[in-house]
Amino acid sequence: MIDYDLQLKLQAHLDGELSPAEARGIQARLARDPEARALLAELTATTAALADFEDGRRLPESREFFWSKIEREIHRDASSASPSAALPWWAGWRRWLVPIGTAAMVALAGLMATRPGLAPEAEAELADPGAFTYRDYTARTTLVWLSYPAEKEFPADDGSDTMD
Amino acid sequence: MNSPQVDTVEPMTEKDHSSSEDPALVRAAQRGDMAAFEELVARHRDKVFARAFSMVRNEEEAVDLSQEAWVKGWQRLPQFLGESSFGTWITRIIINLCLDHLRKQKRQRFESIEAMDEESGGVERQMPVVTPNPTVNLERQELRKRIDQALGQLSHEHRTVLVLHEFEEMEYKEIAKTMGCSIGTVMSRLFYARRKMAALLANLRRDDLT
Repeated sequence: MIDYDLQLKLQAHLDGELSPAEARGIQARLARDPEARALLAELTATTAALADFEDGRRLPESREFFWSKIEREIHRDASSASPSAALPWWAGWRRWLVPIGTAAMVALAGLMATRPGLAPEAEAELADPGAFTYRDYTARTTLVWLSYPAEKEFPADDGSDTMD
Repeated sequence: MNSPQVDTVEPMTEKDHSSSEDPALVRAAQRGDMAAFEELVARHRDKVFARAFSMVRNEEEAVDLSQEAWVKGWQRLPQFLGESSFGTWITRIIINLCLDHLRKQKRQRFESIEAMDEESGGVERQMPVVTPNPTVNLERQELRKRIDQALGQLSHEHRTVLVLHEFEEMEYKEIAKTMGCSIGTVMSRLFYARRKMAALLANLRRDDLT
């Protein structure tokens, strides 16, 4: 009985997966081993039979019916993938509100600084770079500008589309 | 979503694409021409279905998987760069879908007897060599029928390796990558599948003679 390693090498030889040196080794073995030749002949016959095998199976649905299902899926997929359906109408404005708001705060702070009395303060918290605070002591006003959504502004994500 | 924008303008869909070559149809479909894509589906749908059937061995599942492959094909069309033929590309999509499907099925049921045999000691190593060639002198139609029967008796792991190697002409390395296993496993499964096929074909012939 030839060992398993040789059996797999005979197969790899048939499939052209051996290096030239390994192929020469197998050729030499085949020349002196009838059992190896018989196994190779069996593998070759099976491969040849399969090579001639054409599965002429045809899709058991008409062209029109099959296409109508595909087309419906494509349209359904295209409509469900529309990003406008996922976010509220005002969400697109947020990206403009943040820089415009920040610029307005800076301009207001500059304007107030030129007026007499206590100068207003404008500061960005180091601990929270997304928060910008403006204080005007004369007007007794403090404004805090957040560049991110406040809690509960968006519905909680249930994580249903994550990989976890 | 990267899929081509669905063309809702009718004049494009009215064009007759039956005489166009595949690459021209692909380019038109990438621009959103669904009539061109329909022509591609019509041309390759039987091959895609046959490949799905050869792997899952169930007509209803093969039809559903084929449909899914075509929808995915449309969605991924912008990524198709023409490095292979369109037929090869869409066949790779159906192969991957079938593999996912079979993996899910496997998780839901016990290992097949063949897979257990493979794990428990490799019966293929001890099988006597089949001589003479059992397929000699068989009519083409008869041979196809027997091969089809024998393929149906293999476990899906062995059948898949055989299908990818013999029908899709993939190399060991490519099969290993597609199936997510080692080259050694591919070689082992292919060897088992071929030996089992030889034995099954011989048995089928013996059954005919008795």
